Amino acid sequence: MPIEVILPKVDMDMDDGIITEWKVAPGDRVRQGQILFDIETNKSVMEVESPGTGVIRDLAPITGEPIAVGTVVGWIDADAEVGASSPAAAERAKTPSSSATKEDAVGHAATSATPAASVEAATVSPSDSIRATPLARRAARMLDVNLAGVTGSGPAGRIVEKDVAAHAGRAPKSAVAGADRLVPFNPVRRIVAQRLAESARSAPHFFVSAQIDMGALQAALRHPGAPQSPERPRPSITVALAYLAGRVLALHPLLNASIEGDAVRLHARVNIGVAIDDQGDLFVPVLRDVPTHTLDDLAREFARLRAAVRARDIVPDDMRGGTFTISNLGMYGVDAFTAIINPPESAILAIGRTADTPVGRDGQVVLRPMATFTLSSDHRIVDGVTAARFVADLREAIEHPEGLS
Amino acid sequence: MPTELVVPEAGTRELSYAEAIREGLAQAMQADERVFLFGEDVGVYGGAFGVSGDLFHKFGPERVIDTPISELGIAGAAVGAAITGMKPVLELQFSDFVTLAMEQIVNQAAKIHFMFGGKATVPMVVRLPGGSGTGAAAQHSQSLEAWFAHVPGLKVVQPSTPHDAKGLLLAAIDDPNPVLIFEHKLLYKTRGPVPEEAYRVPIGKAAVRRPGRDLTIVGSSIMAIRAAAAAARLATEDIDAEVIDLRSLRPIDLSTIATSVRKTHRLLIVYEGVKIMGIGAEISAMIAESDAFDFLDAPIARLGGADVPLPYNPVLEKAAVPQEDDIVAAARRLVREGRA
Repeated sequence: MPIEVILPKVDMDMDDGIITEWKVAPGDRVRQGQILFDIETNKSVMEVESPGTGVIRDLAPITGEPIAVGTVVGWIDADAEVGASSPAAAERAKTPSSSATKEDAVGHAATSATPAASVEAATVSPSDSIRATPLARRAARMLDVNLAGVTGSGPAGRIVEKDVAAHAGRAPKSAVAGADRLVPFNPVRRIVAQRLAESARSAPHFFVSAQIDMGALQAALRHPGAPQSPERPRPSITVALAYLAGRVLALHPLLNASIEGDAVRLHARVNIGVAIDDQGDLFVPVLRDVPTHTLDDLAREFARLRAAVRARDIVPDDMRGGTFTISNLGMYGVDAFTAIINPPESAILAIGRTADTPVGRDGQVVLRPMATFTLSSDHRIVDGVTAARFVADLREAIEHPEGLS
Repeated sequence: MPTELVVPEAGTRELSYAEAIREGLAQAMQADERVFLFGEDVGVYGGAFGVSGDLFHKFGPERVIDTPISELGIAGAAVGAAITGMKPVLELQFSDFVTLAMEQIVNQAAKIHFMFGGKATVPMVVRLPGGSGTGAAAQHSQSLEAWFAHVPGLKVVQPSTPHDAKGLLLAAIDDPNPVLIFEHKLLYKTRGPVPEEAYRVPIGKAAVRRPGRDLTIVGSSIMAIRAAAAAARLATEDIDAEVIDLRSLRPIDLSTIATSVRKTHRLLIVYEGVKIMGIGAEISAMIAESDAFDFLDAPIARLGGADVPLPYNPVLEKAAVPQEDDIVAAARRLVREGRA
């Protein structure tokens, strides 16, 4: 039965390799373990051993072009005895997709060897894998060490944890950084990428910033009207800002609007999306009809949405229909930032951290808890003065949060 | 670093393993008249290994009952008594004879609670003297605990010390489920501190007998004793072994083992039962499946009984089950060479 010669994975992060030299020619007899060819990866040149014994044929030509890992680059016509008595050879010859070969190897093992012998054979190290203990692999992940460069001191060259530690100690992290990693977008990231790129391309953004005194709002939130409970979660600053922004937005229809063809749709409802990060994924669940709800209602609804995001069971309906978005990075110590508008909305409010800041009051310099708010607006819909008036009204609402309920 | 398995507290009296069990039986019978002993020669003769001793004379023939030589009959009568509300404690002279009682233990005792929708319970305790080392040959020397650990509905414990022998017995008698206690014949005469009161050792909780950094040795019954002795020797060559005495096989205390493995990065499982398809395979797989997997820096190693019926020849008998020297050698190989 012919044995496939494949381009093996000799590096952990290797996707392809270039055959630089064949050491054998079609028609040659080769033994298992004999060097067949050299491959060059982006790091090194490695010799590849024959997966079996027999006569070589159909070798891939040397083109200098990369060949994907797992590609068949040649065949060995093994004689029957050799194939049958060498399950390891068949095992080593299998490609990742070739389950038939694997089953065949298992069959050989069962018929031609005792169970103990087949276990022995199966543990023969394939030249295309790295032997390392789980702890060593874990250490390599944590220290960002590429195991391909580590010399193993364990049985049969197995890499154990101390080898990784020694390697990491010897070489600085940058020297063993290895190749870049290509991480495919997950579905959430793909949508975020599409929408934000579209927004940045089509909406001419401009930015209006203001420093707003958060003292009164903080004080109002510190003195809630009723005891807190799961049914009545304490409103966070973010929720309180959504609540206030909703009331202000009701007075500024162009900031609660979106473009439709040659027209602007002024939304009757004020639905505020609140950007949430969860383990590196961006979600924007929507608080609906903000001006018609109490702060407690919003706090409860926001708690539900946040829990749904964490549990990853938030439904698309919870993230649709936003008319305005708030993004608060204050908790990460950001002073101020600008945000990309969440399309098709016309504006987004970016909130920085609240920090004690010296400000002038009645001829005195005093420390006040100040936060920088930056409104990004779509200039197709919103003019500078429109944005400025919104920010002024928002400041008034935040600095005088009377009747917060 | 303690090298003794148990350090007696000042003033604690010592009893043998057999005496500790007898004291536990007496206290349980004193406290609860539903508890009775049942088995071959447990009465007048005092038990094949002298465990029941004088209990026949203390409690009389209605509560310490000599039975005919029929393990199936003993187990069946015990199951029936347990369903009606009694708390039978039966002794099978040698654990090997449990083969004859399998139907009642596996098909009846283990399942009745479930098949009657929880309306019936089988609070019976089976005491099984097991293990090799007495020159009793293949039919009187086996360690069959793994068979029962495989059966849903049964609990299986394996005490290594007089303290645990009494505490686990009392916990087993309290338990509403059938509990099998595999006692070790070689341990009956070993002595250790045993509190006088009727205390319980919780079923399903392992004991860390010796803390260590370099590897975890897990065993139960006499293997926990040998592991502790091996650990003391390993300490002289700078190998710091943590010794876990399982005490219960079912339920098994996986979290104590996993916690230890996360610290030591190496696991050696020692058991007297036949190595292949045994307790060690299960523990090994549980650890490999757990989040402790990522903390292993060497293959999981097992030392178990040889794949043979236990020989009568004392040299071969000894060679067929893990001894202290074997544990020392396996631990050394695991720590120094990274080999199972």
